Amino acid sequence: MADPTNHANAANPLPVATVDDVKRINPLVPMKARVTRIIEETSDVKTFCVSTIGEDGMPAAPFHTGPGQLAMLSLPGVGEAMFSATDAPDHLQISIKKVGLLTEQLHEICEGQTVGIRGPYGNGFDMEAMKGKNVLFIGGGIGLAPVRSVVRYCVDHREDYGNLHLIYGARTYDDLVFKYDLFETWPKVPDFKVSVTVDRGDDNWKGNVGFVPAFIEQLHPSPENTVCILCGPPIMIKFTLGVLDKLGFTPENVITTLEMRMKCGIGKCGRCNIGSCFVCLDGPVFSLAQLKLLPNEY
Amino acid sequence: MKAFPKDKLTAVLDTLAKQATLWVPAIVAGVSRFAPYGPGREVQLGANTVMSPKEALFPATEKIYEYSAYGIDGEFTPVDPSVGPQILFGLRSCDMQGILCLDDVFLTRGYVDDYYAKKREEATLVTLGCVTPGPDCFCYAMGVNPAEHAASDAQLFDLGDAYGIVARTAKGEALVSALETAGLLSESDKAPLPTGDFVLKVDAEGITEKLQHMFDHPLWDAFSRKCLNCGACAYICPTCHCFDISDKKRNAHCGIKIKCWDTCMYSEYALMAGGHNPRPSKKERVRQRFMHKLRYFPERYGKLQCTGCGRCIAKCPVNLEITDVIQQVREAKIDG
Amino acid sequence: MSDNMRNNVRDNMGHMNNQLTQEMRDLARELLASGEVKGLFGWTKGSRWYLTPPVFITKPEEADRLCYDEFAVNNLTGLLLDFRDSQDKIAVFVKGCDSRGIVRLVQDNQLKRENIVVIGVPCPGMGDKGAVTDHRQAQELPLLAKCLECRYPNPVLADRTIGAVTVTTEPSAAPSGATAEAAKGRGVGSKEADRFAQVEAIEKMSPDERYAFWQAQNKKCIRCYACRNICPACNCRECIFDSDKKNWVNKAATPTDNAFFGITRAMHVAGRCVECGECERVCPMDIPIMAMNRKLIGDLNELFGPYDAGVKADEKPPLGAFKLDDPEEFM
Repeated sequence: MADPTNHANAANPLPVATVDDVKRINPLVPMKARVTRIIEETSDVKTFCVSTIGEDGMPAAPFHTGPGQLAMLSLPGVGEAMFSATDAPDHLQISIKKVGLLTEQLHEICEGQTVGIRGPYGNGFDMEAMKGKNVLFIGGGIGLAPVRSVVRYCVDHREDYGNLHLIYGARTYDDLVFKYDLFETWPKVPDFKVSVTVDRGDDNWKGNVGFVPAFIEQLHPSPENTVCILCGPPIMIKFTLGVLDKLGFTPENVITTLEMRMKCGIGKCGRCNIGSCFVCLDGPVFSLAQLKLLPNEY
Repeated sequence: MKAFPKDKLTAVLDTLAKQATLWVPAIVAGVSRFAPYGPGREVQLGANTVMSPKEALFPATEKIYEYSAYGIDGEFTPVDPSVGPQILFGLRSCDMQGILCLDDVFLTRGYVDDYYAKKREEATLVTLGCVTPGPDCFCYAMGVNPAEHAASDAQLFDLGDAYGIVARTAKGEALVSALETAGLLSESDKAPLPTGDFVLKVDAEGITEKLQHMFDHPLWDAFSRKCLNCGACAYICPTCHCFDISDKKRNAHCGIKIKCWDTCMYSEYALMAGGHNPRPSKKERVRQRFMHKLRYFPERYGKLQCTGCGRCIAKCPVNLEITDVIQQVREAKIDG
Repeated sequence: MSDNMRNNVRDNMGHMNNQLTQEMRDLARELLASGEVKGLFGWTKGSRWYLTPPVFITKPEEADRLCYDEFAVNNLTGLLLDFRDSQDKIAVFVKGCDSRGIVRLVQDNQLKRENIVVIGVPCPGMGDKGAVTDHRQAQELPLLAKCLECRYPNPVLADRTIGAVTVTTEPSAAPSGATAEAAKGRGVGSKEADRFAQVEAIEKMSPDERYAFWQAQNKKCIRCYACRNICPACNCRECIFDSDKKNWVNKAATPTDNAFFGITRAMHVAGRCVECGECERVCPMDIPIMAMNRKLIGDLNELFGPYDAGVKADEKPPLGAFKLDDPEEFM
């Protein structure tokens, strides 16, 4: 399985728009964009490759998102919603699980569909602060989407980071997203260990069977000079935090992303307010230490 | 100071209305609110309006862009946020303070909301010093001076038989000189009438700090039992700024994206597509409202998000009064 | 009325209020102390003399917070909806008009009758706080219009009563119990015949005038939903106006969209409105909501025969039952 989304010429990186460039545009009006490719990850997750389009119909300024940042994707006439975005060299990748009306409609669209895109929003992961450290990635289900943006960054800047270890789980083999990365691309990266588990095994699956928290305990990753990046369903997070604590990870070194309903993306509309923070602006990336300072209302 | 006799008010308003859309406190279909001045408008400068003046800068519903979708093609056409020059006449100090809160939200922290910013930039704000506080007023407790507000473009003072006017900014000076050119102003040596006594007594000293230890306090259960979770308080509030962005379809192919008022009081406000709601019951929503005004907003922007205008107190169907919340929070015992 | 007489009325009212308040507290204390109920909705004295808002208490020692006077205007029955999924027994004080809300909630299967202890109170008629001129000092106030038009001054059902009030499902019965004299003196029910006056006045308008009238009202609506949220008949678990997902209605507060809300709300409570008038009282924009409700009540009376919703628990609402002689023939 080769990465079907990676059709950029890595030797010729395109210029990228800075956050400031995007801010100059009215932040509530989407830029016109086109879905150039749709990848079916699982029965209910699709990855949409999106490129902005200018007046002439040609790709406009690339829409660059940092690891962990968000993009507001809108389908005209249906609605818009905030998603975690992954930067690819000449386009944006947004992996979407079918959960509501908008996402159901998004799953119906074809390649070539015009969509709106605005952002990027949010703080993203502090990749500078993580330099020189080992990184432990933990993901569950569609939670691998935000994690993947960090993994890709670390792989692209391999020399800046220590050992990489991904622990990922989903309900079944069929529910694993980004299989081409999990089984083809990432295992080939030097000093990158990829550990995958499924809740329920089947004939297709030769690997580990069990829940993520138990799998982590079994793998026993070292907290030594290590930052842990954690995204997944709330129940998985809850049990995983207990395991990480037991393993000796400090709250400062466990980093996660929060999910809240968002409308404006720029810290105005109030919806994603938790305490004195707005998840769309001050988050979605928070360390566990930061979360402990916020009201438990997410 | 420069002044015009009260019986020249109409002439003053007529003059100003020639320069810009002039918003005045008035009775419209039985409700007092700020409304564009024009023939037959019942101007009412004597009391706080039911609706806050925020709707002039942050309308209940406004278009942000138009969209169309034909097959796989789509277009997004922004709507010009400008409404042309506006004068907001007869704001109270509490209203002005409310606009400063909106400024913090819409104009700071990295992003600017163009729809608010444009209207704010185009607006000249004329405040009027309060002489008779209303029965539900408590601005003094929120750090607001009812007699005048330093952030206004021009300040009016009640001098008894005349209104004194002082310009505070270039916009205010332009407005005053327009009145001068029209021959409406003369010099007065009268002192402004003092502000009368307040009916409501409350002390909010230390409220933000106290609330930092009260997220799990049983008080929120008690408040929420009578709250209806309606949006009356938020919609008439001069500082409540939460909004929704949603579609107003014209037909299957095109429509308008609107920005419209919304409130944390509504059950679906924070409800996510998968069904999870971080504030699932009345208790969390009531807590959010008061925490936001009295703790989160001060933590983020350094000022209380309540200006003591008393509108929510006057109109709450169950008398869930913010002054009472403040009082009870201050008296509450905290474990540990 | 001379000043002297006015003072007498006020003193008498004050005395009665004290007595009723005492009875109220005693009964609440008893119900909570014995464990018969887990909580109780009543009224308490608010921040000013003309405010007597709702309160919920759960401990016998909180009984002293209860208070009853001519400002205990809130219908508390809608607040019971917070307990619709609970097995806890809750007590609630009801005036005549409020009591019909209980029937409404039980008929709509929102509450189990056995989970509610209904305590009937006599009603002196509620004062109109809009007429207050001195916010510091108590004064005599005119009655709310809805009290002048009152047809059910006595509770239509109750498990317990205070103030010797009579429980009756008879319309237009005279006010009873401790406040009977005061209620009569103040004019409770005296304008009963005017109940449809506003509807008639609006019906007399030309179509254009009527359109302009409602358009002005709809323009005012801020979609705060206070009318819906206080109403014992508006008890849907999920209101369509809370969901923009299905595009039934959008959130734009335009006169057209607001009218859609207003008419939908009125149609939805048609045949179920208990005429407590709370929707109109709580409207911050002073929209004459009861005119809509009354229009539908009048039409239903005409079509199906006289019917008062929320009076008799075993009597089905006209739009909730099918009869062979119904005017609609499509069945």
